[in-house]
Amino acid sequence: MTRKPYRAPQRWSWWLKNPAYRRYLLREATALPLFIYALVLVTGLYRYTQGQLAFTRWLEALQAPGWLVFHAVAVAACVLHAATWIELVPKLLVVPGISGRSIKRGHQVAALIGSALVLGAALVSWPLAGGAS
Amino acid sequence: MSDSIAIYVARYRPGQDEAPTEQRYDVPLSTDLSVLEALNYIKDELDPTLAYRWSCRMAICGSCGVMIDGEPRLGCKTFLREFADRGELHLRALDNFPVERDLIADVERFMDHLETVKPWTVHNSERPVSEGEYRQTPAELERYQQFSQCINCGLCYAACPQFGRDDSFLGPAALTLALRYNLDSRDDGSAGRMAALNADEGVWRCTFVGYCSEVCPKDVDPAQAVNRGKVASTINYGLNLLRLARGEHDT
Amino acid sequence: MKRSNEPVAWGLFGAGGMLLALVGPGLVVATGFLLPFAEPAAAFHAVDALIAHPLGKLLLLAAIALPLYHTVHRLHHGLQELHAPLPHGLVALLCYGSATVLTIASASWLLVR
Repeated sequence: MTRKPYRAPQRWSWWLKNPAYRRYLLREATALPLFIYALVLVTGLYRYTQGQLAFTRWLEALQAPGWLVFHAVAVAACVLHAATWIELVPKLLVVPGISGRSIKRGHQVAALIGSALVLGAALVSWPLAGGAS
Repeated sequence: MSDSIAIYVARYRPGQDEAPTEQRYDVPLSTDLSVLEALNYIKDELDPTLAYRWSCRMAICGSCGVMIDGEPRLGCKTFLREFADRGELHLRALDNFPVERDLIADVERFMDHLETVKPWTVHNSERPVSEGEYRQTPAELERYQQFSQCINCGLCYAACPQFGRDDSFLGPAALTLALRYNLDSRDDGSAGRMAALNADEGVWRCTFVGYCSEVCPKDVDPAQAVNRGKVASTINYGLNLLRLARGEHDT
Repeated sequence: MKRSNEPVAWGLFGAGGMLLALVGPGLVVATGFLLPFAEPAAAFHAVDALIAHPLGKLLLLAAIALPLYHTVHRLHHGLQELHAPLPHGLVALLCYGSATVLTIASASWLLVR
C-alpha cells in the first residue's frame, strides 16, 4: 500500500488561533515601542552633542502630545516586558537550594527598586520647571 | 448534562481524501469516559474504519496524543465531562506532523531528532560488572529527574511553532533529553551532544514560546530544558573562542 | 551540524532584556515624562555631570546599546514568525547592523565629550 501523508504547511496566521500564541507574540511585540524608545535616546544624545540649544529643542519636541502618548505606550510595553521576562528567569537561572519562586520574587523586588532608583535619581538631578517651559 | 456528546473527528483517508474533513459521531456521555475510550466506542460500535493510536490507557506509553479542541493532549488523560456543557468536541491528528491517516500523525521526524541527541548513557569505557554498579547520590539524581519523565508523546512538537515552520529544529523533547543525559553524573556523552545543541537546528531555533511546557502531560518543562541548553551552549561558545584564540581546532 | 553564532546575539538580547526589566519602566517615565518638563538648562547640566564621569558614560551607553540589541533581536525573530517575505540574511543584517551602527555612534559621541 502506498503512503500519501497529508501535509499542512504553517500559515502566517498560525498564532491567531491559540491564546498561548497570541500572548507570546504580544510579549515579542513589546520590542517595537522599546526599539523606537531606544532611537529616541540616541537622538537625545546626538542633540546633546550639538549643544545646549539643540538639546533644549529636543526636550521641547518631546512635550508634543504625540510623544507623550508614545511614551505612555512604551511604559506599558516595558512593564509587560518586565513582568513576562521575570516570569521566565527561574527557568534559566537554576540555583541549587533556592526555589524558582524565590528567584522570581527576588527579581520582582529588584525591578521595583531599580525603577524607583532611576526615577529618584531623575527627580533629584532634573528639577521640574513647574510644568511651564 | 445531556446523555450524548458530538465528537467531530478530522478524517483523512489517503488516496481517497485530498485533505482532512470532519465527521460527526454521537457518543453516549458518562462522567468517567476518556476521549480515548470514546474513540474505542466509535471504532467498536459506530465506524470500524476510524484510525488512531493507543496502547496503555494510563499516560505512560505516549501513543494517544491528538489535538483536542485545538490543544495537543493525551486522549487517555482527557475526559468527556470537560466538554459536556458545550456538548461537542473536535479532534484532529497532532499539529506540525504529516497526517498518515485520520488521527495518526507521522512522527518519524521526531524519532530522527531523538536519535540525533543520543538519549542514553554514553560511557568512555565500559566497566566490568565485577566493579559494581554506577552509583549516584540523591542530589545527582535530583539534577535530571524531572527531565527523565518524558514519555515521547510528541505533544510538545505539536505545540511548537518553530518545529511547525521548519521541522529540521530538533525540538523540545529531543533537546530536553539531551540535557537530561548531560546532567547525569554517570554519562560521558556531553561533548557529543553539545555539537547538536550548538547548531541553529539545536537550541537556537527556540524563541521561548513556552507552550511546550504548558501542554506537557508529565510536567517535564521542556522550555526550561531548552533554555538551560542555550546557557550551556553560550558557555560552550565562549570556551570554543578561547580554544580558537590559542590556535586550537574548532569543536 | 554547524555551530551557530546565535550565542552572541542572544547574550546581548539577554543583557538588554534584563536591563529593561530591572530599570526600564523607571527609565521610560524619567526620560519620557520628567525630562521634557525639567528646567532645560538644569537638565542639560545634569547630562553634563553624568557624562563627565567614565562610569556615567558607561551607564548611558549600556542604557542605549543593550535595549537596541534586545529589541532588534525580537523584531528579527518576530518577522520570521509572521512569515515576512524578506530574505532572512538581509533582515538580520538590517537589525543587528543598525543596532551596531547606533551603538558605535553613541560611543563615539560619549567619548568626544
